[in-house]
Amino acid sequence: MTVEISASEGGIPHNNFLGIGLVGSVVCLYLAYLNVFTGMDVFSVFGGIAAVFALWWGTDTIKNLCSYGLGTGVPSAGMLAFGSGVIAMLLATRLEIISPLVIPVGAVVIAAILGAIIGIVADKIVNMHIPVMVKALTEMAIVGALTLLGLTAMASGSFVFSELVAGTALINVGGTMIELPSFAASALGGCVLATLFMLGAIALQHPFNACLGPNESQDRTQMLALECGFLSMIPVAVISFVFISSGAALIGFLVSVIGWAYTYMEFIKLSKRDAYMWLDGKPILEKGGE
Amino acid sequence: MSALGGGGGGEGMDPVGLGIGLVVALLSVVIVYILAPTTAVFALIGVIIGGALIGFGIHFVPVGGAPAAMGQSPGIATGVAMLATGAGLAGLFGGAWAAELGFGVALAGGAIGGGLMMAITCLMVNVVYVYGMGIPAASGKVDKDPITGDTFPAYKSQGTEGHGLPFISYVGGVIGGMFGGLGGTLIYLELLEVYKETLPQILSAGAEDVIPIAVGLAGIFAVGMFLVNAVLSAYNITGTIEGPHDPKFRRFPRAVIACAIASAVCGMVAIMLVAM
Repeated sequence: MTVEISASEGGIPHNNFLGIGLVGSVVCLYLAYLNVFTGMDVFSVFGGIAAVFALWWGTDTIKNLCSYGLGTGVPSAGMLAFGSGVIAMLLATRLEIISPLVIPVGAVVIAAILGAIIGIVADKIVNMHIPVMVKALTEMAIVGALTLLGLTAMASGSFVFSELVAGTALINVGGTMIELPSFAASALGGCVLATLFMLGAIALQHPFNACLGPNESQDRTQMLALECGFLSMIPVAVISFVFISSGAALIGFLVSVIGWAYTYMEFIKLSKRDAYMWLDGKPILEKGGE
Repeated sequence: MSALGGGGGGEGMDPVGLGIGLVVALLSVVIVYILAPTTAVFALIGVIIGGALIGFGIHFVPVGGAPAAMGQSPGIATGVAMLATGAGLAGLFGGAWAAELGFGVALAGGAIGGGLMMAITCLMVNVVYVYGMGIPAASGKVDKDPITGDTFPAYKSQGTEGHGLPFISYVGGVIGGMFGGLGGTLIYLELLEVYKETLPQILSAGAEDVIPIAVGLAGIFAVGMFLVNAVLSAYNITGTIEGPHDPKFRRFPRAVIACAIASAVCGMVAIMLVAM
C-alpha cells in the first residue's frame, strides 16, 4: 500500500526561491529593526513579511525534499524545520551581547549549522540516502528560524532577548492600578513563542501537503504558501495588540488581512484554472423560503 | 517515490557518518564543559538520555498511516511524527505540571501522562475500528499475538497487511507513550534546572521572578527537541510499524544513536543561550 507523491517539474528553479526568500526575509528583519532607530513600532509589520518570504521559500524546499518519498508524510518535515529552527532562533536572540544587528544573520548561521548536523544524522546514520537531505534540512532549519524571528518581531516589536523577556503588568495596589515590570507578561515568559511556533509550522507544512498530486502546479502551491503566511500573520497581529501600540498593531492587522484576502482570491483563481471542472455551490433552497 | 512504506532505511549504519556524529556529540559536551558551569554538563547528559529514550519509545507506537484509515494495515491511522508528538507533549505537560513536586514525581508524571494519552487513543481507535468500520483486529506481521495467544490469519482480509489494533500493538503504544513522556520530561527538567540557576544573574533579578522565563524557555526547547527526535525516529521507521513484534522494531539502535547525537547538539545550543 503506497501513496504516490508527485510534484510538478520545471518552473522557477529552486535556487531562485532560495535567493529571494533568504535575502527578502533577512532584509525585512532589518527593516523591522528600524523600530529601535526611529523609536516607533510601526515597522513591526515587516517581521510578518519576513516570515511570509521564508515560508514561501520553505514550501519549495519541502516540495524538493518530499518528492523523494520520506515515508512519513509531508508535515513531518515542517515539524523538523521548526523544532530545529526555534532552538537556533532563541540562541540568535542572545547575540545582542555582540550587537543586535548581528541577530538575523546569526540566526541564519546557527540554524544552518544545526540543520546540517541533523541532515547528516538523518542521511548517514538513519540511512535515508536522499541526495538533497542535508541541503534541504539545512534550508528548513533556516526557514524555521527566520519565520519565528519574523513572527516574534511582529508580535512583540523586537527580536532582542533582553526586550523579549521584558514586560509590564498592571497590578492593583490598594485600589490604584500601577504598572510594574513583570517577566510573566513578556513575550517569552508568557510563552507567546509556543503559539507562534504552531502558527508558523502549520503555514509551512500545509501548502505542499494540500497541493501535491499529479495535478500539482508550482504557481498554485506557492500562492497557497503566501496565503498561509498571511493567514498566520492575522493571529500574530491580534497578539501584537498586547505588546506594541494599537496603531502599529492595527497596521499589521490590516496588512495581513488585505494580503490574505488578495492571495486567497488568487489561489481560488489558480485552483479554478487547474480544476477539470468547477461548479459553484449554492445553498439548497428551503421549501417556502426566499 | 512513495509516501508510505517505501524507500530508505536499509539495515546497518554508515561507519563514516557514525564517526562524524559521535565526534560532533562529544564536541558538544566538551564545549558545554568549557563554557558553562559544571552542572550544565550533567544537564546535557540528561538531555542526551532523554532524546535517546524518545527515539527508543517511538518504535513501540503502532503507526498505521493513511492505509490504516482505510482498514488496510494495522495501527493508528496517522503518521509517526504526529502520534509521537501527541504522546510526548501530553507527557511533557503532565511532567511539567508536577515539576515542583520533585524530580522523581515529575518523571513519573510525564511517563504516566504519555502512557495515558496513548492508552486512550488506542482504545478509541479500536472502538472506531470494531464498531464503526466493522473490522476485527488482525496483525499482518505475526500469526499469533505474543501476549494473549490469539491467532490472526483467519481474521485477516485478503489483500491487506492486517487491520485493526491487536492487543500487542495496544501494549506497545502504551509503553511507547511512557518512554516518550519520560524522555520529554527529562529534557524539560534538566533545562529548567540550568535556567533557574543561571537566569537570575543574566537578567539581574530574583530567583522567584525569573521562573516564568525559565519555564517558557525550557518548555519551548523541550518541544523543539522532542519534534527533532520524533521526526528522526519517524524517518528511521519509514512509514508504518505495528509495535514491538514488527521486524522494523529491530532498527531502533540507529534511531537511538541518531537521537542522542541530535539531542547533544540541540542541548548544547540550548545551554549556550545562558552560557554566553
